Amino acid sequence: MPAYFNFAIKRLWQFVLVVFIGINIAYVITHVTPIDPVEQSISAVTSFGNTSPEAIADMRRSLQELYGLKGDWIEQYISFWRRILQADFGPSLSAFPAPVTSLIARALPWTFGLLAFTTLVSWSVGNLLGALAGYYRNNRSLKFFGVLAMALHPVPYYIVALSLMIVFGFIWPVLPITGGSAMDVQQGWNWQFVASVFHHSVLPALSLIMIGIGSWFLGMRSLVSNIITEDYVVYAEIGGVAQSRMMGSYIIRNALAPQVTGLAMSLGGIFNGAVITEKIFGYPGLGTLLVDGVYAGDYGLVLGVTSIAIIGVSLSVLVIDLIYPLIDPRVQVAS
Amino acid sequence: MRRLYTAFLATVMALSLVTLFSKNVEAQGIPQNIPRKELLILENPEGTIKNAGWFNIWAINAGSQSNGLQQAALDTLWYIDPEKGIDGAWDNSLAADKPIYNADFTEMRVKLRKGIFWSDGVEFTSADVKATVDIQIKNPNMRFSAVLRNNVASVDAPDAETVIFKLHKPNSRFHTNFTVRWGAIWILPKHVFDKVEDPTKFDFNKPVSLSAYTLHSFDPDGKWYIWQLREDWQRTSLGRYGKPGPKYLAYVDPGPPEKRVIAQLNHELDVIHDIAPEGMFTLAKQSKSTKAWFKGFPYGHPDPTLAGVIFNTQNEHLKNRDVRWALALMIDIRAVTMAAYRGAATISAIPVPPTGIHPDAYHKPLEAWVKDFEIDTGKSKHKPYDPNVSKQIADMLRPSMGDQIPKDDKEIKDSFGLGWWKTNLEAATELLERAGYRKQANQWMTPDGKPFTVRLMVEGDLRPVMTRAGTMIVQQWKQAGIDARVDVAQGTLLTRRSAGDFDAFIGWSVETWGGHQDLSYFMDSWHSAFLAEPGKPQPLRNWQRWSHPELDGIIEKIRKIGFDDPKGIELGHDYVKLVTREMPFIPLMAYNVFTAMDHTYWTGFPTSDNPYANPVTNWGNSRYMFVKLKPAN
Repeated sequence: MPAYFNFAIKRLWQFVLVVFIGINIAYVITHVTPIDPVEQSISAVTSFGNTSPEAIADMRRSLQELYGLKGDWIEQYISFWRRILQADFGPSLSAFPAPVTSLIARALPWTFGLLAFTTLVSWSVGNLLGALAGYYRNNRSLKFFGVLAMALHPVPYYIVALSLMIVFGFIWPVLPITGGSAMDVQQGWNWQFVASVFHHSVLPALSLIMIGIGSWFLGMRSLVSNIITEDYVVYAEIGGVAQSRMMGSYIIRNALAPQVTGLAMSLGGIFNGAVITEKIFGYPGLGTLLVDGVYAGDYGLVLGVTSIAIIGVSLSVLVIDLIYPLIDPRVQVAS
Repeated sequence: MRRLYTAFLATVMALSLVTLFSKNVEAQGIPQNIPRKELLILENPEGTIKNAGWFNIWAINAGSQSNGLQQAALDTLWYIDPEKGIDGAWDNSLAADKPIYNADFTEMRVKLRKGIFWSDGVEFTSADVKATVDIQIKNPNMRFSAVLRNNVASVDAPDAETVIFKLHKPNSRFHTNFTVRWGAIWILPKHVFDKVEDPTKFDFNKPVSLSAYTLHSFDPDGKWYIWQLREDWQRTSLGRYGKPGPKYLAYVDPGPPEKRVIAQLNHELDVIHDIAPEGMFTLAKQSKSTKAWFKGFPYGHPDPTLAGVIFNTQNEHLKNRDVRWALALMIDIRAVTMAAYRGAATISAIPVPPTGIHPDAYHKPLEAWVKDFEIDTGKSKHKPYDPNVSKQIADMLRPSMGDQIPKDDKEIKDSFGLGWWKTNLEAATELLERAGYRKQANQWMTPDGKPFTVRLMVEGDLRPVMTRAGTMIVQQWKQAGIDARVDVAQGTLLTRRSAGDFDAFIGWSVETWGGHQDLSYFMDSWHSAFLAEPGKPQPLRNWQRWSHPELDGIIEKIRKIGFDDPKGIELGHDYVKLVTREMPFIPLMAYNVFTAMDHTYWTGFPTSDNPYANPVTNWGNSRYMFVKLKPAN
């Protein structure tokens, strides 16, 4: 146990280091963007009319002060870390003065709900069918599913998404193609809103599952195909172990270890958002927020979303590393 | 195995059935609790609004403006329609009459309408106008603070219907700050803002409205906003024109272009703000109920914005007028309109948008001058204007578009514009040679012996139509021997445009009222006093960083005359002649906006035959559409 404790402390320290380096890289990248948020704001503000050039010069000075862009880069960097440690990413420059944290808090549940659900469904169904296909290699339905998965897997995501949108939004218009919920339905824990969210998530979820399921299916099928040729499985078969026990305890359990790692990585990646899905289906979420922030030169917003993504991925890897020795007896912590 | 498989299939089927039949087929992208026949659904071109619950338009760059806030809920002193307006392009909105200036334009007096009320029942008075100015001057970080601080010395409200602005210096166009083209300085409710400690941090949610609609509900995720007609709509400035047709307005983010087309084909989006030409052609072909500004080709509404090739005239090679003209003469405008708008463009050879009142004020009166305009290359003389270009474009389109292309000469000119410059490589060669350039093989070399390179900046997929125009021009310049390159700026365009980090770009520096002949809207900022040094940020709109003593003279004369003074048109003609001679930017065409209007639920939308308003949904002027719309049978 002391060995495990030391291992956990070491991994925790590595986690902190990775997050620190990651956020610093994000800070540098966002601050070398050639997009000037002040010019973006001036353009938006002056689009209304014939603002005089003197007024624009005045406005430029005001905006630099308002956005905290005055002062040298050391002052800005220290102020940035001071805020980060208080979980404050400052105000969004493109939605001033709304705090970045409030924009992320609004977008995150949509992204998390959609991607966590689709990742778990793709993972469960893909692995289950993959395991069955690897074990029952002569089953025609599973063979057909294998062909389908292999055919769908390389199709670019946006083609699948657009096809679904055209089929269910235009040719047979039975599903909504935009938004996270219906218009004029107040958000809250009421049946109308929940049903509406479910209804609106069908197409984005279906598109993600259709593409996501294939890789899990193919990976699991090949893992199982290898495992069933192992000596201990052949021996168990000869020994008359029941098929269900063989599948559960001898095959799937052993094949699942790398898939669980993959799942953890995918769940961590949720915090990157799903830019293409959100754009195509007009679904609210972190991906759209990130892209909008990049185009507007909104440092705070981009840093906020990327920091969340860095922490999400690093944390999921940390959790997997910490629980691996506990779930897989073959993995030992060096004493 | 079989049981597991059957259970899996049963689950999938059950989920599919629940999903497909859990809602009505009709109830897709429309409000659930509002009768469709009372609702007008319009596109909010700002898309998804990040801080949706922010309605304080007087704060800098905070919430949405085009979500119905400036079209349906706010009001100000005057409007100028880019077209003909309901009762003329000029509309006294909250003001009872036009502005009255003193002799030296240092004071502006405004008489206000009586009987206008805010949606919470408080009467609108001159105190609101005064507060609009005072609060923004007192708080320097508000949206219109800089404009007001730079202009207004003091503002007085001697009685409830009178406002007197005293200005720091003469400004014959001060009223235009309170005149809606696309937007303007909107009047804020004093009785609300008086109670606010810091107006820059006040969200103004729920907004108190001054126009005919008030907020009904909105999506906290910023996808939609619904506005409801006020019961006391007669007590607003719009009430003069009768009861607005739609009881509800929904401003929505319908998503990318293909979804806008699907939504309108499904009759779930009555007005598309703008769409690619191909989307417009699809709608015209597939939907009997969709109509646009023109009843046929070229469909789109020409905005009073003139797209062109804007040179950075501080660039060593582009300082020379001969070089700029040579580049203009290498262009075949027919191919450019085909590439950009698939031919659905309204071209202009002169530096004024070919829309609204301008063809009658500028294009037609000056056509004789343009026809006679001569370029003397030193070796030969050329008359570059071709008055038949629009007819040639129409003829090129006829085989593919058939009867949609007008045949009548006047209709062709109204739709496609008048003439443009002929491609003339011989004249271009002579002009470049006079400027010291030499051609080696098929490559033009600069006077210092280097390849003549021009990077043409385009916005990329953020503005595909203009990007296609730029790509075609680069191709034509390359064919003529220029080392031309497309420079895709994407989101950096605004920053680079301001910094002068370009050789040339596709964009606009000419925007006008459209419905009024005055050109100071853009031209005043072209005065040499505002010209930035190379590398320093250039204030809008003189992106070409060009100045000329003659232009300064024109601008200074315009400043000294009234807004409606007919001399303004004469000075505008002088501007056209000067810019045509100097060619600091190459005018191409109006920025056509393909606003598609579905007549399934509503009729009476503005069109070129009934041009009472600009249908483009984000313009403040689009409010006049509401009073003209009638439910379709």
